[in-house]
Amino acid sequence: MTSGDLMALMPLIILTGGSVLVLLAGVIKPGGYLYELAGALIASGMLWGLLIPAYAVMPALAVTPYSRFFALFLGSAGLISLLLAAGYNRRRGIAGEEYPATILFALAGMGAACAATNLLMLFLGLEAFTFAFYILVAIKRGSATGGEAGMKYLLNGTLSAAVLAMGMALVYTARGTLRLAELADAGASPEPLFLAGGCLILLGMAFKLSLVPAHLWTADVYQGAPAPVTALLSTASKGASLAALLLLLPLFGAWRGLHDILWLLALLSMVAGNMAALVQGNLKRMLAWSSVGQMGYVAVALVAAPAGGVKAAVFYLVVYAAAGIAAFGAISILSGEEELDAIEAWRGLGYRNPLAGAALAVALFSLAGIPPAAGFMGKFAVFAAALRGGESTLAIVGILSALVSVFFYLRIVVVMYMKPSEFPADPVRKLNVAEIIALLVPTIVMLLLGVYPQPLLKLLEEILL
Amino acid sequence: MSGNYPLLTILIFLPLAGSLLLVPLWDRVSLARPVAFGAAAVELALAGWLYASWRGLADVPTKLPGYLLLEDSPWIPAFGIRYTLGLDGISLLMVMLTAFTFCVALAVSWKAITERTTLFLALLLVMESGIMGVFLSLDLALFYLFWEIMLIPMFFLIGVWGHGRRIYSTIKFFLFTMFGSLLMLLAIIALHLLHARQSGVSTFALPDLLHTQLHFDTQLWLFAAFFLAFAIKFPLFPLHTWLPDAHTDAPTAGSVVLAGLLLKTGSYGLIRFGYPLFPLAAQALTPLLYTLALLGIFYASLVAFAQEDMKRLIAYSSIGHMGYVAIGIAAWQPVALSGSILQMASHGVTTGALFCMIGILDERAHTRDIAAFGGVWGKMPLWSFFFLIFSLASMGVPGLNSFVGEFLILAGTFKQSSLVVALSFVGIVLPLIYMVRLLQEVLFQKERGPLALTDLDPRELVILAALLLLNIWVGVHPAPLLDLIHLPVQLLTGGAP
Repeated sequence: MTSGDLMALMPLIILTGGSVLVLLAGVIKPGGYLYELAGALIASGMLWGLLIPAYAVMPALAVTPYSRFFALFLGSAGLISLLLAAGYNRRRGIAGEEYPATILFALAGMGAACAATNLLMLFLGLEAFTFAFYILVAIKRGSATGGEAGMKYLLNGTLSAAVLAMGMALVYTARGTLRLAELADAGASPEPLFLAGGCLILLGMAFKLSLVPAHLWTADVYQGAPAPVTALLSTASKGASLAALLLLLPLFGAWRGLHDILWLLALLSMVAGNMAALVQGNLKRMLAWSSVGQMGYVAVALVAAPAGGVKAAVFYLVVYAAAGIAAFGAISILSGEEELDAIEAWRGLGYRNPLAGAALAVALFSLAGIPPAAGFMGKFAVFAAALRGGESTLAIVGILSALVSVFFYLRIVVVMYMKPSEFPADPVRKLNVAEIIALLVPTIVMLLLGVYPQPLLKLLEEILL
Repeated sequence: MSGNYPLLTILIFLPLAGSLLLVPLWDRVSLARPVAFGAAAVELALAGWLYASWRGLADVPTKLPGYLLLEDSPWIPAFGIRYTLGLDGISLLMVMLTAFTFCVALAVSWKAITERTTLFLALLLVMESGIMGVFLSLDLALFYLFWEIMLIPMFFLIGVWGHGRRIYSTIKFFLFTMFGSLLMLLAIIALHLLHARQSGVSTFALPDLLHTQLHFDTQLWLFAAFFLAFAIKFPLFPLHTWLPDAHTDAPTAGSVVLAGLLLKTGSYGLIRFGYPLFPLAAQALTPLLYTLALLGIFYASLVAFAQEDMKRLIAYSSIGHMGYVAIGIAAWQPVALSGSILQMASHGVTTGALFCMIGILDERAHTRDIAAFGGVWGKMPLWSFFFLIFSLASMGVPGLNSFVGEFLILAGTFKQSSLVVALSFVGIVLPLIYMVRLLQEVLFQKERGPLALTDLDPRELVILAALLLLNIWVGVHPAPLLDLIHLPVQLLTGGAP
């Protein structure tokens, strides 16, 4: 390893080392400035990645513009969720150094997953951050819903990890190598054993992205986990999984079956996710089902990958992540000792807490794909790619399910702004600076990308080659 | 001098800037109202200045024939979307209508809105920006963006400040319009891709897309998607069911903007985009448009006759009046099309005025039930005078504005289909029946219940007088407006300018 490699790897090293550092600091001085320390570590890792354009290719990892982009994107999601968690955890009595340390560890895993050049590192990265989430989901000790969610996630997650590992083993048996580049070059007509492995890998990735039929864990886990954890789980974990999936797609070459499998996943996810979201009475559960639908749109873009869909998929995911962070962020901030996640509890909150209300409203408009929020540009990119790729059925089903989604997203806006609150005298907590930043940043990103997405689109064009 | 300033951009973003100006005034309502009205007034002055100087502008040729002003710059090259704005006679007429209607809407809600007033004013101004954008965009993607943006403020306007079943109505309104627009979005993207495949140029610009060679079948599908979006806004029978609910439950300013402008975006879209982009499909579907328009005229008039709520009655009459606009467009012939465009403006003024008047009455009596009134002339002579005149205008009495538009529509359509004209003549009589009933029940008769009614105050008088002047001006001397739209109409219908 040269010094140049070290420079390029530094953000990952900061995150991994930082995770240990925070754990140690917690032992030495319990209840110290652990969130601040973790936040500073993430920020310094991101700054390093942003300012020092060092690239390196090593046996298992390659720091490329691609991995740098994703590391920055996932890091910002992690940082915001840490800002959200600081106050939230204090109010709900989640103490200890394990929370910030685990967040750092999760981000390190995500960074490894999108920089991987062989299957083993990819697996390690994916499972590292999934493992971190097993802890984070159940971090509130004594919480029945949290424990249930953690158990469900763990059982489902280990199953998917097993499927993923089995798939990779089959691929290795068939081709005799784990390196992604060699696997992709190996030939246009894949043999059955390789395909069996590839399909198992796809299934494992479908679990991570909550694509139907591997989505069943989503609603329970999103609902049961603390809101700042859900904010990260629904955005950064999806982002890292997409980054990993994009690294895996070239393996299949021009195999037509890939198109058919993704096509089916996309169709089922859009329809099932949006339909199920219609009947939810719990805000977090509704957002969970809707995220299944949202991932369906990402899958639509992947189906149209030959027609420029990859760019659309990543763009859509960034936009979705901004909305997810803002929405779950608003929930985190307004939750006191109990989570504020029953839809009816949001009556009139748009006026009682204008900033949190506005952030959630913009996020919902964005998720519904209504301009000027960025979700519209995301849907525009996805549908343009789908039609260019000749996928008119998916486009039409997508548009109609988007219409369904407008209804349940607007329902929340209606409750927030158009129904009088039951307890008008309810005192409203003033937001602190960290919370204001955590709400403002994703909201501004959504509005900016909604009216001027060109810089991000251009950047994606460059890094996705 | 107009070349130096991006006048069209100013026209679109001035109200938006006004709404941002309201943010520091959030809790100072007494200051926010004049600021908001000031922004709308400056906008109106700008529109008026453009009208006063349009002949001068027309002498300077632009890149597109018929256009007075053009602005064009790249915006999202990755998608092939440009920021292209254009102003021709038709847009200018709509811009003037928009600027005027928003002044009226702000003025009429001066006292009616007492809760969350600043938010209300800001939303109105945002909506003005959106509607201006719809009337000025020449890039289909940009047009679509504004088309959607203008819905959000209306959604809040009805839902927050509305009456009755406001939440049901606003969701219905939003879902209906979204349904049409989303399919139109697919059609816009498909058209863009077809054009890119033919010419290799990735663009959403209307002037380029007009040259796309399309098979008849493709045209039919794409036109159907556009047509659905516009027909819902129009609204054409049987897609009109959102309109009576939205109108009835909206606050007065919301109704004025809905009737005056949102419906016009549908007809404008059909004139600007639907017919020119897909001429063959449009021609093939002309009988359908005639049929739907006629059905709408008859159906809406009959339903209007049975209404007990004054606002709902006027809402149904809107459907009937817009039916004539649809007939004029379907004929696609210079005289009829001019009539349609003029009728769009006239209907905005007349129906807007009627909604204002019902709002004024509602503020005093707290009911809009026809059966609750009677003998209002004795108590509110000024109000009653204006109500009579605007009702006469709505019936199409010569000398007032609606007559001109309807006459031109029927005269022009006669060359295309005498059967349609004959049936529409029957339809013209119907508004007489329900409007006369309304007038008789409300203005005359005996007083039915003790209502504390005071006559118009100076603010209301000024609003109504302005509307009336405009009404009479268009009714008596429509020639300047017809001159304004003459060239664009000729170019659209393919005749010699």
